[in-house]
Amino acid sequence: MIWLLVFLAVAVVIQGRQSWAIATSRRLGVLKEQRGALEAEKAALERQIRLASSRRVLGARAAQLGLHFPQDSEFVYFRLPAER
Amino acid sequence: MAKLTLRLTLIEIVLLLGALLVLGRAAQLQLIDGASWRAEADSVRKETLVLPARRGGIYDRNGVALALTQEYFEVGVAPNELRERAEDVKAIAAALGMRPSQVASDVRTRKWIGYRGPFSGSQVRTLRGRHGVHLEGHYARHYPAGSLARGVIGALRPDSARGVSGVEFALDSALTGVPGLAVVLKDRAGRRYASPARNEREPVAGRDVYLTIDAELQEIAERAMDEAITDYEASGGDVVVLDPATGELLALASRQTVEGQVVSTKASFFTDPFEPGSTAKLFTAAALLVRHRVTPTDAVFAENGVWQMPVNSRGDTRSIHDAHKSVGELTLAQAIQVSSNIAMAKFADRLSAVEQFEALRDFGFGSPTGVEYPSEARGVTRPPERWDGYSKASIAMGYEFQVTPIQLAAAYGSIANNGILLTPSLVREVRDPSGQVLYRHQPEPVRRAVPPEVAATLRQYLRSVVAAGGTAEGAQLRNYSLIGKTGTAVRNQGGVYKAGTYTASFAAIFPAEDPQLVVIVKVDNPGGVKVFGGQTAAPITRTMLEEALAARTSAIDRLRLGRPGQDTATVVRQPDAAPIDVASRDEIVSLPMLAEQVDPPGQSLVPNVAGTTLRRAANALHRRGFKVAVRGAGKVSRTTPAAGESERYGTVVTVWAE
Repeated sequence: MIWLLVFLAVAVVIQGRQSWAIATSRRLGVLKEQRGALEAEKAALERQIRLASSRRVLGARAAQLGLHFPQDSEFVYFRLPAER
Repeated sequence: MAKLTLRLTLIEIVLLLGALLVLGRAAQLQLIDGASWRAEADSVRKETLVLPARRGGIYDRNGVALALTQEYFEVGVAPNELRERAEDVKAIAAALGMRPSQVASDVRTRKWIGYRGPFSGSQVRTLRGRHGVHLEGHYARHYPAGSLARGVIGALRPDSARGVSGVEFALDSALTGVPGLAVVLKDRAGRRYASPARNEREPVAGRDVYLTIDAELQEIAERAMDEAITDYEASGGDVVVLDPATGELLALASRQTVEGQVVSTKASFFTDPFEPGSTAKLFTAAALLVRHRVTPTDAVFAENGVWQMPVNSRGDTRSIHDAHKSVGELTLAQAIQVSSNIAMAKFADRLSAVEQFEALRDFGFGSPTGVEYPSEARGVTRPPERWDGYSKASIAMGYEFQVTPIQLAAAYGSIANNGILLTPSLVREVRDPSGQVLYRHQPEPVRRAVPPEVAATLRQYLRSVVAAGGTAEGAQLRNYSLIGKTGTAVRNQGGVYKAGTYTASFAAIFPAEDPQLVVIVKVDNPGGVKVFGGQTAAPITRTMLEEALAARTSAIDRLRLGRPGQDTATVVRQPDAAPIDVASRDEIVSLPMLAEQVDPPGQSLVPNVAGTTLRRAANALHRRGFKVAVRGAGKVSRTTPAAGESERYGTVVTVWAE
């Protein structure tokens, strides 16, 4: 009788472990899919930002506004004082 | 009784034999034939799937994505499996950006619908888990920066996603991941059931490659080339921007007009050699200075712009013209300043053909630079024994040999870098998928092309080119000093120099003190009224530098920029201001390059090529100016002279392979 109980207990543990593994695997799969989708979305947005802020687009818009790329005499770099 | 006992005994024996037979058969099935039966059962019940590995990404030096691999999907619809048909049709149409009436028509009339797309993961997100909708994922290359630097990045073979050109090909083994293996269970209907315990090998993503390219500088360079074609009616051109202290290539742009269409995917800066014209005068000047064949006061008569040069003892002559006519005598410095062909031809006569040839080879011409690009051209330098009476003068003027823009950039880089020629590099870092750095570029000195004092003198000559009276006077910036040399070469088409067609170029070093950039601009066949390098390539260079100086992020380190006549403005920090986070600032790390690590002129260190293939070994040795003899086949085991020995350039190095 005791052997039957031991057998049943082991079977329940194995079954439980397998079920848990399968459920975890499904969750992992869903998370991977979500991550892939988010990466795709991020890449698409980055591409849009990159194209919208490209010199080709911004330069044309700036020219429409009467702006131009500065010559080297038209900007000043500020140098921070050295740390004491 | 005895009969009964006999019968029972016989029955027992029969039963025992039967049991033994069953046991024997079981042993045969389990122990002897077990493996084959198990394999047959597995083939019916299981299926092994190859799990594709994501290819590594390609980024610029600041982490801007240039090429990424992403999972894309094809969408299959089985109309008979749809549960809420009207709602499903709306969802599919919305996700895939189609008209609902079109999807509804497909669902009504077909048994299976395949929408190939490809659709991104975010597009198909709402379709996941929907009955009757089947998603088939696959990896595809994606270019977030559009066409930026595509000539450098290269392309993939469509059928196998392996690199076929550019960095994709050169670093294919690093970028390609290791596919995984998974075993799935099948039922009688062939449906697959994944099990977490049965992934035999997880896929390993490829490594990420960080190029030395600066995306913003690259965009500036590509725009400059586009404008060159428009403004100067050019048929094409190249731009190379290089950091002379490290050999890192910061921008590489190419434009070629093919049948009226502008092509931007060719890497002609690596593959297409050209006659450099007057930008090469500096290398003959270097040879003269290194060999002490000229003093600062030595001068030659400039023949008032036209000279019939004797080319043999029979009295034959060749006519040499100066575009910028000079009267009187010119020193070597003045000859460079006004780009006098006649003066350079006369000065070149003080060198032997071998000396002039060796000077070109010392600057790296005639050998691939070793940049990580698969089809780099070596250029054309003919050996001195094939020169004629005019060749020395011709080569001094930048003809009769061909260089690639990348070779020219590396050679000018050595002048900016106090005479040390570095191998140009396109790859800054290689990282594994977790971000750990596996490779980081270190400057790789090839040889000392000229002593430091000669490099300083050459830079002084270049300063005069952009000063008043020089050929690139218009290229000078107002507040920062630029030095450089113009070139305008008549184009050779099919072995004939065609009058009225030119290659205009400008080789610049910026700034003059503590150089940070070498810029090579080449304009092919400018068709307007402006055809000289000083009128086309030089203004392009100036505009590019102005844009780079004003850019938000740029490869130029403003802290190191000196301003002639005007100091950088200083901000007086308020006493109560927050302390400056010095640790978060970029720091300039000096090169780990000591004088004793580089070779004297005309000599080179034998590189360690043990363990590499014969092809790689020969390439590495040729790059350092050695000739190669091969003994054996297979992997290289050693060389004679041994690795690390300093040998004269042109020495035959025997490569032993096993």
